[in-house]
Amino acid sequence: MSKKIDERIPQDSGVGTTIRAYVALQSPWNKLIAYQEAMHYISRFESVLSAAAMQALRIMIPDYAERAEMMCEEAFERLYRTGVNYGDDDGFGIHPFMCGEFPGALIGDKGDDALLMCGRCQDFGTYRCEKELDVCDWDIVGSELCRTTTMSLQGQAKASAERRPGGPALDYMMVEAKGCGDRHCRIIAESREKYPAPAHALWESFGPAVTEEYKKYTEEADCVSEPMMFREECGYRFVNGTNNETDSSNQMMNLSTSASLYVLPAISEAVRRGLATRGQADHILRCVLEAAGKAMFGERYAIRGLRDWMGVPASVGEDGRLLAGLIELQLQALVCSYSVEAFNETECILVIDRGGLEITGTKDLPEAHLAMWYGMVKTLVNAQWSCWEEASPAGKLRIRIAKKIDKFA
Amino acid sequence: MYKNIFQYDDMKCAEHMAVRNAVGWYFWTHQLVEVTGPDAAQFLDHLYTGNIASLPVGRDRYTTMLNEQGEIIDDVVILRIAEDTWWVSTLYATRCDDWFYFHQEGYDVDWSEVTGDWQMLAVQGPRSADVLSALCRDSVQDQKFFENRENEICGIPVRINRGGFTGEKFGYEIYTAPDTLEKMEALVDAEATKQGGMRVTEFQVMAWTLPTEAGLYYMRDLAHTNPFEVGLDKHICWDKDFIGKDALLNIRESGPSREMVGFEVLADDFYIRSKQYGGPGEPVCCSGEEVGRVSKLVYSYKKEVNNGYILAKKGALKPGDKVTIHGTSCVITEKNWLL
Repeated sequence: MSKKIDERIPQDSGVGTTIRAYVALQSPWNKLIAYQEAMHYISRFESVLSAAAMQALRIMIPDYAERAEMMCEEAFERLYRTGVNYGDDDGFGIHPFMCGEFPGALIGDKGDDALLMCGRCQDFGTYRCEKELDVCDWDIVGSELCRTTTMSLQGQAKASAERRPGGPALDYMMVEAKGCGDRHCRIIAESREKYPAPAHALWESFGPAVTEEYKKYTEEADCVSEPMMFREECGYRFVNGTNNETDSSNQMMNLSTSASLYVLPAISEAVRRGLATRGQADHILRCVLEAAGKAMFGERYAIRGLRDWMGVPASVGEDGRLLAGLIELQLQALVCSYSVEAFNETECILVIDRGGLEITGTKDLPEAHLAMWYGMVKTLVNAQWSCWEEASPAGKLRIRIAKKIDKFA
Repeated sequence: MYKNIFQYDDMKCAEHMAVRNAVGWYFWTHQLVEVTGPDAAQFLDHLYTGNIASLPVGRDRYTTMLNEQGEIIDDVVILRIAEDTWWVSTLYATRCDDWFYFHQEGYDVDWSEVTGDWQMLAVQGPRSADVLSALCRDSVQDQKFFENRENEICGIPVRINRGGFTGEKFGYEIYTAPDTLEKMEALVDAEATKQGGMRVTEFQVMAWTLPTEAGLYYMRDLAHTNPFEVGLDKHICWDKDFIGKDALLNIRESGPSREMVGFEVLADDFYIRSKQYGGPGEPVCCSGEEVGRVSKLVYSYKKEVNNGYILAKKGALKPGDKVTIHGTSCVITEKNWLL
C-alpha cells in the first residue's frame, strides 16, 4: 500500500479571485455542501448514531422505568452542576430580576434553535413557561431521551435559580414529545405554588400539565421546518424575548448530540452503578453501532445517493475513498480538524483530532463513531473493506480504511 | 383555541391592579455600568442620542444607543450620581461594555459594571409616595420625576430615584446594598401592605403588562428599529455628534419606512404569535398585503382588553382600522391605554 493522496482540489482554491466565497463543506471531489444542508445532515447522522447507542443501553437495562430513571437522575445532576459552574446568564438573556427557575427556559430555548429544533416559545412567565417544537432530529432516539432532556433542563433551571434566588420553583414537563409520536414536542413548566399537583418521580416528566387549557397548539399549516437562524422572516437571527440574539454561527452540532450529552454518559452511569461491566458495555455498544453502520447502506440506492451527494466521479469505483470522503464531510460539519495521510484506491488514512470528535468531552464518542464507520464500509463498499484505528499519535484518532481479512469479524 | 394566559389569571390581574390603584413593589435590579472620568460626559454624549452632558447632578435621562446605521442597540436610563460619575441602567451590560471599549479612543474615561454592588426595589403606584414617605429619613414629596437623591431607610443608606417602568406618575426605585436587601424587602412590604398594596412577583406584569399599557418598550420591542420608527426621536439631541447621527439624518430626510402602532384583539381567546417571546411575530395583513408584524401582545387589566404593538409599514395602518391577524379581528389604536 502507498501513502499516495489522489489529486484533490485544495480547499482554498480560488481565493483571491473576485468570485464570492461561501461557507460550505468540500468533499474530496470538490462538491460543495452548503452550511445549512451540512448542519441538517450531521444533526440527523449524529441522531442515528445516538439512537443506536440508546439500543445498547436498552439491552443493558431492559426495564424502561429503571433505565429512564437512571438517565434522568444522571442528566439532572450533571446539567445542574454544569449550570452552577457555567452561569453565562448574559449569554442567555437572563437578567438580575429574573428570579427563580423560569429563566431556565431561556437556556433551553436558545439551545433548541442551535440544534435546529425549530418551533416557538408560547409562554414565558415567572409561574409558567411553554415551548413548542415542530422539528427535533433527536426524535428517533427514544422516549427515555425526551424525559431525560426535560430533566436536564430542570437541572439547568435549578442552577439558574441559585444564581437568582427568590423566585418560585418550576416543574418542567414534556407533555407532548415527538419521540412518542406527537406532532410537537411541548415543554410546559409550572409552579406548583400556583398550580398545585401531586408530586411525581423525577423520570415521570410527561405531565399532564395543570394548565393544559392554556396550551397553545400550532396547526400543521403554521409549523416551520427551519430554525430562526435560517429563516428570512427572522432576519436569519435567533432572537428570544430578551436581548439575546445570535446568528447561524451559533450552531451546537459540535457541542451537543444526544449521544454525547445523554446516552453515552448514561451508559457510563450504568457501569458506575454496576448494572454492566465496562467490558460488557463497550461490547454491546460496538455490536449495535456496527450493525447500525451496516444498515445505513444496505439499500443499494443509498450508495448511489451518497455518491451523487459527494460528487464522486464514475472513475472512482468501489473502494475506501467513498467512506473516507463521507467521514471528511462529517468532520468538517462537526468543525473537527483532521488531516489526510493517504487517499487512494487501496487505502485511506485520516488523522482526526480526538478532542474535536469527543464533542464536549465525551471520551468514548470517537470509538462510537469508529464502530459506525466500520459497519458503514461493509455495505457502502463491500465486506473486503474495513475501518480501524492504527498507530494513533497522542490526542489523535488515526483511522485506516483498507481491505482486511479478519477471521473474527 | 387556547385559553388566554393573561385574561383569566387572577394573580396577574391583582398584582397589576395593585400598581394602578394603590402601590405595588418588586425586585427589579437592572445591570448598572458606572462611568467616571474627566471626559465621561462627552463620552456618553458620543454614545447616546440624548443630551447627557447637560444633565444636572441628581437627575436622570432616558435615551438610546445606536449603531452606525441608526438602529437602536440599547435603551437605557442614565443617572448622574455626581459631577463626574454616571450610572447607565441597562439590560445589556455585556454589549454596553463592548461598545464602550471599541469607542473609547480619545476619551479620558473609565467604566465598570457595578451591578453586584446594588439591588433595586421598584415601588410603583399612586400610594408609592406614601410608602416612601413613611420609610425614608428625608421626604420624597418634592422629588421630581427622574431625580435621584441619597436618603436613608431605618439607618440603611439608600439612593432613591423617582421613576419607573409602569407609566405611573408616582413611582420610586430604592437602590440599596445587597446585604440589606432582605431587611429592605420586609420594610417595604409591610408599609406597602398598610397602604393597600402588594408585592408584584410575576415577570409578565413587571416587564409586559404594566409597561405596555403606558406605551413603553421592553428590550426586544426595539431590536432593529430606529428612533423615528418607535417614536423615540423626541429624545434626540441634534446639537451634538453621536454614533448613528448621519444615518438618522438621512432617515429624517427620507422619512422612516415603519412605525410602531397599538392594537387590540377583538376576541378573548385566539392564536397570535408575538415577538416578545422571540421569533418573527405574526404577520399583519391588510387587503392581502403584509403590512407589519406583531411585536407584542399582552392584556390591559385596566381597560380589560388584549393590547399590543405592531411594527407596521409607515402609513399603512391608522387608529380605527380593522385588520385580521391569524384569523382574528383586531383594531388599530394609539399606543397608550392609560389615557
